[in-house]
Amino acid sequence: MTLARILAATTALALAATAAHAEPIRIGASLPITGGLSVSGEKHRRGYELCTKLINAVGGILGRQVELIVSDNRSDPATAINQYERFINVDKVDAVYGTFSSRLTFPVAAILSKYNMVHAIPSGAALRIYEQGYTNLFYFQVSAAEYIGKDVVAVIRDLIPAGEGPKTVAIVSADDFFANALAAGLLGEKIKDPATDREITDLAPGYLADAGIKVVMQEKWPEEGFNDWLNLANSIKRSGAEMIIGLTASEEEAVQLTRSLKTVGATPKLVYLSQGAQNEFIEGVGKDAADDVMIHTNWHKDAPFESTLVGKPFNNADFVKAFEIEYGVEPDEDSAIPFAVCQGIEQAITGVGTTDNAKMGEWLHARTMDDPVRTILGRFAWDERGLAKGKSHIMTQWQDGTLKFVYPTGEFEGVAPFSYPKAGF
Amino acid sequence: MTDIIQILILGLALGGVIALMGSGLALVFGVMRIVNLAHPSLIIAGAYIAYWGAKLTGIDPIVMLPVAAAIMAGIGVLMYRLVFEREARNAKYSEMTVLLTFALAMIVEGVLGGLFTNTQRVTSPGYATDAFFLGDLFIPKGQLYAGLISLVIIGALSLFLKYSRLGYAIRATTQNREAAELLGVNVNLISVLAFAIGIGLAGAAGSLVSFVFSFFPAKHWEWIAMLMSVVVLGGMGSILGTVVAALLLSVIAAFVGTWVGATWSTMTFFLALFVILLIRPQGLFGEKPEMA
Repeated sequence: MTLARILAATTALALAATAAHAEPIRIGASLPITGGLSVSGEKHRRGYELCTKLINAVGGILGRQVELIVSDNRSDPATAINQYERFINVDKVDAVYGTFSSRLTFPVAAILSKYNMVHAIPSGAALRIYEQGYTNLFYFQVSAAEYIGKDVVAVIRDLIPAGEGPKTVAIVSADDFFANALAAGLLGEKIKDPATDREITDLAPGYLADAGIKVVMQEKWPEEGFNDWLNLANSIKRSGAEMIIGLTASEEEAVQLTRSLKTVGATPKLVYLSQGAQNEFIEGVGKDAADDVMIHTNWHKDAPFESTLVGKPFNNADFVKAFEIEYGVEPDEDSAIPFAVCQGIEQAITGVGTTDNAKMGEWLHARTMDDPVRTILGRFAWDERGLAKGKSHIMTQWQDGTLKFVYPTGEFEGVAPFSYPKAGF
Repeated sequence: MTDIIQILILGLALGGVIALMGSGLALVFGVMRIVNLAHPSLIIAGAYIAYWGAKLTGIDPIVMLPVAAAIMAGIGVLMYRLVFEREARNAKYSEMTVLLTFALAMIVEGVLGGLFTNTQRVTSPGYATDAFFLGDLFIPKGQLYAGLISLVIIGALSLFLKYSRLGYAIRATTQNREAAELLGVNVNLISVLAFAIGIGLAGAAGSLVSFVFSFFPAKHWEWIAMLMSVVVLGGMGSILGTVVAALLLSVIAAFVGTWVGATWSTMTFFLALFVILLIRPQGLFGEKPEMA
């Protein structure tokens, strides 16, 4: 063996050893695994864990394995803040994944901005989060909650024959960050910064008024501890509204509300809920009550979104398959969105070849719809606030026990015909 | 008028379920001076037993009630022996139990999360989302059945406490632990028994709650304050008081929810707690504490 060959072999061995012993990329995520938000928190963990596992199975990012650190914040904002502080200062993580819900994301955003960490947000829809002047936010859903109403009204405008749409609506909502934001858009309220009272935007006259639908009942229930669902459902029924809008903060509330509407025998023509695309919804309310209920989502298992993972094609269908193998159940949106967040962080690190968060942020901001972050939720590019550009929600409807997507039509295959009016609960 | 009767019906039906949820708490405090903050988490354990019984075998959650009650009573015996017995003579027992049961609530939540995941569950027998319609009025079947069964169980418990020999002993221990012991009551055994009955009631309540409310391991934090309000208003330890307080507060909450706004209905319980502590700290049916 020549000297050159020996040297080459030694160098190769040394390089291989370095790669094998390279420090892992540490990524921290504080999630509500217990407490009131635990249902979604647990599903978010699965999304992050599956993505990490799949990345590591093909050699990690930049040849480094990914070490995911998940902490349970018990659905408590103060704990979530402490945990991100700890990730950054004690665990010395290279990157973070966002937490679940606007309630937790709002305070966490200030901390991650302070440390200039890229803040990839799976769930934090309230517009005011994006109006604080932070430059490190990247929201992995379609739009801020205030703008969701636009897609709800679009379904009524485009899919229901003129003159047959609902003329009156009862709008009931949780007194919660997310639900209040969604209601503000529908009702055309002013959005203010809670800290400074500065007006962020005026949404008047609101999507419902735009569509000529009159609000005949409006009610809020407290964020926690509400039990009087039947009484609320009875008031909705007595209002005689042709459409019911239920803006729940969790899918558990969507179950309680729908069961109560069934019990009191409400007969609206159209029902839209802000939650209820999850598997537990159909189990909790049953096929008949769920039929024709409309829910907005960012993701659907049959949507043919094409994406990549560690440089290789990894499409939505691959995600559904991998999830079912790993957990034995079908995924829903609450696991798909965090998976997309993980894809975004992976593509940013790969894109800049380092875990320098400033560079990762620049790279993410430089994305366009032609050169986007490609996730199982579709393509993402963001405006300067961190809200996704050029996306609309997938409107879904439960039909015969299956969640079908009914809008937008013509964008991809598999759109089911919209079912209207609803035939009781 | 129809409105008023309808709200009254809904309030009473919900109150019946809350009465059963609170009665075990009242019994355990009355007999053993244990402020059991873990009680709602044990109700959720009972609900899981009913849920899995229904899911795996198709058994109705009402039929699962005795099973859930028996399993939870057994767990109650273990809990008492392991956690409470050794401190029973401590002068600061009641205060200690607040911390002990707070920890216990977190442990139960963790165990339930580990066993059953944090996914929300609810049982769905046909009657759970059905109602009797009488003209403009309706009576929800699920809450009606749950409320009636609750009242029957509480009635049977009251008869047991009033007329059986064991019931005498339990009441004697409630009134004066030392005197009961002097008269030959095995207060330790009575305490285990009363605790087991109390936790058994949590199991029974759980199987009824399983089709009235959806639940998940962390749900108990939403119930503890409401149940404590009911028990304090009833007179810390009085089961009759707990029933009356539960029915009263649920009806008031239903009216507040309809006429003032749903946001305020939950407040009713806490406002009542505040007012009762100010003007009648011993509650509706409690005895006035002796002045030192």
